[in-house]
Amino acid sequence: MTSSKTIVLRSSDGATFEVDEAVALHSLMIKHRIETGGADSTTIDVPEVTGNTLSKVIEYCKKHVEAPNSDDLKSFDTDFVKVDQAVLCHLAKASYYMNIKGLLDLSSKTIADMFKGKTVEQIRETFHIKNDFTPEEEEELRKENSWNLFV
Amino acid sequence: MGYSFPEEVLEHVFSFISLHTDRNAVSLVCKSWYEIERWCRRRIFIGNCYAVSPGIVIRRFPEVRSVELKGKPHFADFNLVPDGWGGYFYPWICEMARAYPWLEEIRLKRMVITDESLELISKSFKNFKVLVLSSCEGFSIDGLAAIAANCRNLRELDLRESEVEDLSGHWLSHFPDSCTSLQSLNMSCLLSEVSFSALVRLIARSPNLKTLRLNRAVPLEKLSTLLHRAPQLVELGTGAYSAEIRQDLLSNLTEAFAKCKELEGLSGFWDVVPFYLPAFYSVCSRLTSLNLSYATIQSPDVTKIITQCPNLQRLSVLDYIEDTGLDALSLSCKELRELRVFPSDPFVADANVALTEQGLVSVSEGCSKLQSVLYFCRQMSNSALTTIAKNRPNLTCFRLCILEPRAPDYQTLEPLDHGFGAIVDHCKQLQRLSLSGLLTDRVFEYIGNRAKKLEMLSIAFAGDSDLGLHFVLSGCESLRKLEIRDCPFGDKALLANVSKLETMRSLWMSSCSVSLGACKWLSQKMPRLNVEVIDEQGDLDSRPDSCHVEKLYVYRTVAGPRLDMPSFVRTMNQNPAYRR
Repeated sequence: MTSSKTIVLRSSDGATFEVDEAVALHSLMIKHRIETGGADSTTIDVPEVTGNTLSKVIEYCKKHVEAPNSDDLKSFDTDFVKVDQAVLCHLAKASYYMNIKGLLDLSSKTIADMFKGKTVEQIRETFHIKNDFTPEEEEELRKENSWNLFV
Repeated sequence: MGYSFPEEVLEHVFSFISLHTDRNAVSLVCKSWYEIERWCRRRIFIGNCYAVSPGIVIRRFPEVRSVELKGKPHFADFNLVPDGWGGYFYPWICEMARAYPWLEEIRLKRMVITDESLELISKSFKNFKVLVLSSCEGFSIDGLAAIAANCRNLRELDLRESEVEDLSGHWLSHFPDSCTSLQSLNMSCLLSEVSFSALVRLIARSPNLKTLRLNRAVPLEKLSTLLHRAPQLVELGTGAYSAEIRQDLLSNLTEAFAKCKELEGLSGFWDVVPFYLPAFYSVCSRLTSLNLSYATIQSPDVTKIITQCPNLQRLSVLDYIEDTGLDALSLSCKELRELRVFPSDPFVADANVALTEQGLVSVSEGCSKLQSVLYFCRQMSNSALTTIAKNRPNLTCFRLCILEPRAPDYQTLEPLDHGFGAIVDHCKQLQRLSLSGLLTDRVFEYIGNRAKKLEMLSIAFAGDSDLGLHFVLSGCESLRKLEIRDCPFGDKALLANVSKLETMRSLWMSSCSVSLGACKWLSQKMPRLNVEVIDEQGDLDSRPDSCHVEKLYVYRTVAGPRLDMPSFVRTMNQNPAYRR
């Protein structure tokens, strides 16, 4: 009988999560750490990710590893990203650092969909981004863009 | 501070944004986003090749994989743009060959491209996949041979409606035996024969070929041979659809078509012999697209076909379909989105074809998904237009071409102002409109007031005064392209709306009443516009400012006046020292 090995993942704020190795390996970053880590690699630090986000990432990996062919995988994914913006952005970053392509694509695409059809001002407001163009620079670029040159 | 994304994450997010308007918005958010976006933009579309220079494009977007360019204005299709006007691809390919070694796709419309350019394309881009030349000219079979020979991964070669010099005729054999990547080949515009054996071999080794549009020279007798080699085709353009009446030929063809289980689109059909039409009846139930605009078949034969096509979404046909055929269309083809009816004999006053405004009214009643109409006819009425408008408020494109200029409502003899007014009133999503018939300034008042989503407007032989043009320029908020011929529009409206011209891609006015002086004044006032005067009568310099210009083409640009103009084109603000 095969014993399922478990791995402990430790977030930036010290929270620990015990997960099946198979689930942890869904992250190629963790897979690499395990493969190159030597004998005593049962606790893996993930300093780029906080506990809250790591917990969600693990939830994603669990579902995709344990039930990859389930009919409700698609609706799981759809519901998974129905979170507020901040969480979504954290998920995208975490999936990038942890090299989980499926989650990176899912979260990136969801963020991209939030940009679509919006004006520049709306995007800035939604994501709290400061405009650091001078009025002249912005005007010049608007001409290049909104003069339907690249549209 | 905002959400700080690592660059790679943002780049990944941007990879899911493909619409140019969205990419443009994202690029303006802040400096770092601008930088990231410009490095990862892979597709660019340039609606007017003179609005920007290759250098500016390449400097901003260094990693482009797909380029789409448009050259001559639309009225070039009606021979209103003289030969030699411009639209040369050469300056673009020279710079792109150096800057974009990984370029995969080039799509050009109404541009001049030489064999030299084609050769440069074929040798500069290792991963070149797609070449679409739509209504282009300036090249020959030799250029195509270079593409065939050198583009190892060619997926798509589409020459739609281009003018190709057929010198040698043999270019298909230049595709190496190792080339198996072809998915789409459109050579319908080629005039001379191609080597049939080379064609068969090419098709046989292209398992992913989905679109094949043959030219007229491929005889019907050989079509079944090709179909047997490519039963996976989704779109087929036949060659000439005529042969001697032979039962065995019909059977072979029928059998070949029956094997094509994926076929959804048909075109070609030059020189149709009706005896052979039943050969493709087996695919009709699957057809979404049918182009019979070269098929000189009469209404009963056309009707027989379309009543078997319940899934038809796009139909192009000659006016031989007549009102009866359009009635049948409206009953049978409930999925129809786009209808184009072309004139069989446009230069004859009375063509003896029973196609009237009723046909279009019928289709507008029966086809609830109809969005796009191009309709050539000989009579129209305000009441028909109003009915059409009320039936189909979801129209996005309405191009009506009544063949006789200034033809009034044939029932009341009034102008067609109210009818077109109803169109713009009901069809609130209308993006493209072509007018015809007798029209006063009033129709432009309606358009200016109501057509808020209109992007492209074509006007010919219409209006009474400058007021008409003024209504359009001051009212149509979304207007991008305006093309006008033979209208009594002069300086007043133009000069009262100069800033509007910077919000549009281009304005074309020919055989109107715009003076040379107004053109000069316009270009002085608006340095970001190229004000091109096209005048083949020669020697503009000695003409008085009051004289009317033949043709005027105004477009916004960040590239300054162009330097490749022939002698009959002048940019008004160009320093005389630079003129050739």
